[in-house]
Amino acid sequence: MSMSVQGAIAANRFGLGAKPGEIEAASVNPRTWLKQQLQAIEFNDGLASSSELEIALAEYQRDRKRAKKMADVKNPSVQFGKSAQKMSIAVAKRAIDSNNSLNWRLLDFFSNHFSVSSLGRAMVALAPTLEREAIAPNLDQRFEQMLLSVVRHPAMLIYLNNERSFGPNSLAGKRGRGLNENLAREILELHTLGVNAGYGQGDVVELAKALSGWSVAKPIKEKATGFVFREQGHEPGTRTLLGKRYKQRAGPLGERQAEAMLRDLANHPATAQHLCFKLARHFVADEPSADLQAKLTDAWLKSQGNIRRVMEALIDADESWQTPPQKFKTPREFVISTARGVALPVFNGKKIWSGLATLGQQPFKSGSPAGYSDVGSDWRGASALMTRVEWSASIANQAKFLASTMSEQAIMRQCLGDTVSERTAQSVLRAESREQALTLLLMSPEFLRR
Amino acid sequence: MKRRELCRLAGVSMAALSLPALMLAKDAEQGSPKVVWVLLRGALDPLHTLVPTFDPHLAKLRPTLYKAIKQDVLALSDGYALHPSLVNLHAWYQAKELLPVVAVSSGYSSRSHFDGQDFLEAGLGHIDHESGWLGRAVQAKNKRALAIARATPISLRSDATVNTWYPSRLQDASMATYESLLKLYEQDEQLSTLLQNGLDLQQQANSMQSTQRQGRFVDLARSCASLMVGPEGNDCAMLELGGWDTHKGQANRLARGLNELDKGLAVLKEGLGSDWQNTVVIVGTEFGRTAKENGTGGTDHGTASALFFAGGAINGGRVLGQWPGLSERALFQKRDLRPTSNMYSWLATVLGEHWQMSQQELAQVFPSATTLANSDGLNLVSSRSQSNSIRVI
Repeated sequence: MSMSVQGAIAANRFGLGAKPGEIEAASVNPRTWLKQQLQAIEFNDGLASSSELEIALAEYQRDRKRAKKMADVKNPSVQFGKSAQKMSIAVAKRAIDSNNSLNWRLLDFFSNHFSVSSLGRAMVALAPTLEREAIAPNLDQRFEQMLLSVVRHPAMLIYLNNERSFGPNSLAGKRGRGLNENLAREILELHTLGVNAGYGQGDVVELAKALSGWSVAKPIKEKATGFVFREQGHEPGTRTLLGKRYKQRAGPLGERQAEAMLRDLANHPATAQHLCFKLARHFVADEPSADLQAKLTDAWLKSQGNIRRVMEALIDADESWQTPPQKFKTPREFVISTARGVALPVFNGKKIWSGLATLGQQPFKSGSPAGYSDVGSDWRGASALMTRVEWSASIANQAKFLASTMSEQAIMRQCLGDTVSERTAQSVLRAESREQALTLLLMSPEFLRR
Repeated sequence: MKRRELCRLAGVSMAALSLPALMLAKDAEQGSPKVVWVLLRGALDPLHTLVPTFDPHLAKLRPTLYKAIKQDVLALSDGYALHPSLVNLHAWYQAKELLPVVAVSSGYSSRSHFDGQDFLEAGLGHIDHESGWLGRAVQAKNKRALAIARATPISLRSDATVNTWYPSRLQDASMATYESLLKLYEQDEQLSTLLQNGLDLQQQANSMQSTQRQGRFVDLARSCASLMVGPEGNDCAMLELGGWDTHKGQANRLARGLNELDKGLAVLKEGLGSDWQNTVVIVGTEFGRTAKENGTGGTDHGTASALFFAGGAINGGRVLGQWPGLSERALFQKRDLRPTSNMYSWLATVLGEHWQMSQQELAQVFPSATTLANSDGLNLVSSRSQSNSIRVI
């Protein structure tokens, strides 16, 4: 395989789609080009933190309770929906502009792995803060670190109802509060071991009991925000998870019981297999080869779940570079790669947001803790494809005169490099108008897949 | 004609345009003079649209294409005829509201759609993405202009502000784009099956409602009329319609495309009501197609094409332009209809009279416009009541 084909694969399969000049840069040494992109992501964009949002939510809640009529309620200091939209758009824009888009793809992957949905006012506000605060800073860390950050984050604790889960024999439990297994179940089934990994209902309950008391501070009453461990809600006693005993710790140390369990879960071989399968599925193929999975799992186990090492193994594996491409782009990938490739001012925040919504992948709207599907057949419906045609045509219609300063040939080369087929090249260059040419390019088999 | 000569067609100065009130009809009505520019993107085949039935070479060059319409063409005068789908345009011709021009060219000498359209829209004799002929006219006369599009097309670009309007629901892809995609997917079973299913579903859905994708232009024309009608409406609008790049299966595709164009223009007229009397509709395309039909029932990129003026303000009912003939010797590069006049000259003449533009103003709009061959007595636009004096010179 020529270096220029590898360069195009690097930019389109591993990255979020080639930007102008990127394939050329990647072609010099595609593997090195990718590896140097791996790093933590920081957000210094001044958008609301979960802490600020929790305070605004609490104040709004308090004002509503006090007011006799809805009309008397002050508008919340933060427009929760708008602030959430701003945050998601900011992430997409950074991804579009980034020269390290492999890193941003990885953020999308883990954000979807730890999916939260914006259901209800609190989650509308908090959902987009999880990836910023608990995932982005840990992209170059061990998975254990990321898992602990996520499970302690208010968005995850509230989304899966753990902030009100109390042990039946705790002080709070004796006052009638109960256990909620939701978070514990999803940690085992989705975040770590994976379904059918040999755990049982007993394990779910044991983890839930250990997690009881993992809660979120009350901003007004407690003058604090974020994670709080409530001793009085923690189920006392020794717990057994997957046959291993975790002893009771006194007082505030009770938090360490679940923490130890989470560390063990993060480093469990089933977790390595589960996550490596998902990574291989995300990057390479809906049904990734056993060899590729084995290479990733090996790297995972050797490095105790160091995400950078696993990604390096993925980049090194020959299986990752196979042609023809196996992955059908999700709507998010399609929108972002279009924006990166065509690089037009039409891609303002509104356009990005409406593109994601129209094509069916609005941020934090999967409605399931399992997140959006990562399998082509779930995105490749007949009417979904028609919607993509229409969306591409509408982008092309808006873009045509901006694009006209550049030849179709050049746009095609900067998006697909040497991976463009003769058939597609001919169709694009023989299109009856510039807008049709751009529509055909975006809807070509090579651009729809990666 | 050599390429050099073709370029020269675009190079004669405006001073050579010495035409008495060329195109406008009878009396100027009270309404403000309106202009609708319809750009057919993809290169409309002139010989299948404005058919020279008198030319002995036509049937030989196009055994199947001409046969497909021969019995049903709608006769005009001098042996010209319209494609059978153009029933409304034919009625307008009889009412002297349609004026076809044969064998025109913008002076663009290659055969690329993109460049050809950009060239035609710029109106400068070279490509300029920031400035279009209609935009410059709008700016010179301080008219209110509207593009029925998502972004301002080059034609309407200038320093003046132009509104754009397009229906908000996503319905951007043309039938021609879908056809191109089906072709592109021919070797990709997964995508071609999906797209075919999608199109079938859409057709079912559309047959349950009444709107059809093919009626898209009709809808746009209806909206265009309602945004132009009355003294408060826009003075000028641009519509675009694709689907003319008929390399294969031309007979069916043009029957469908011309029907859509004809219906859309009829709806435009209906919507304009009495404003139709002070309206000029201009229908043009970037270039023509090969005189000879190709091996797949279509035609390939050519040179000269046809231009149509319509509207109550047009002094129509005749076919203008000089017929170059279809003999091998007469053809441009032995393959295309040879241009005998420059499109800009006709556009300049009509626009100049209709909007009463001075020579200076016209020189800004079409700095490179050429002379018209034998320009005596054309009267393209019905002369206005106030005078015949609105001359291009």
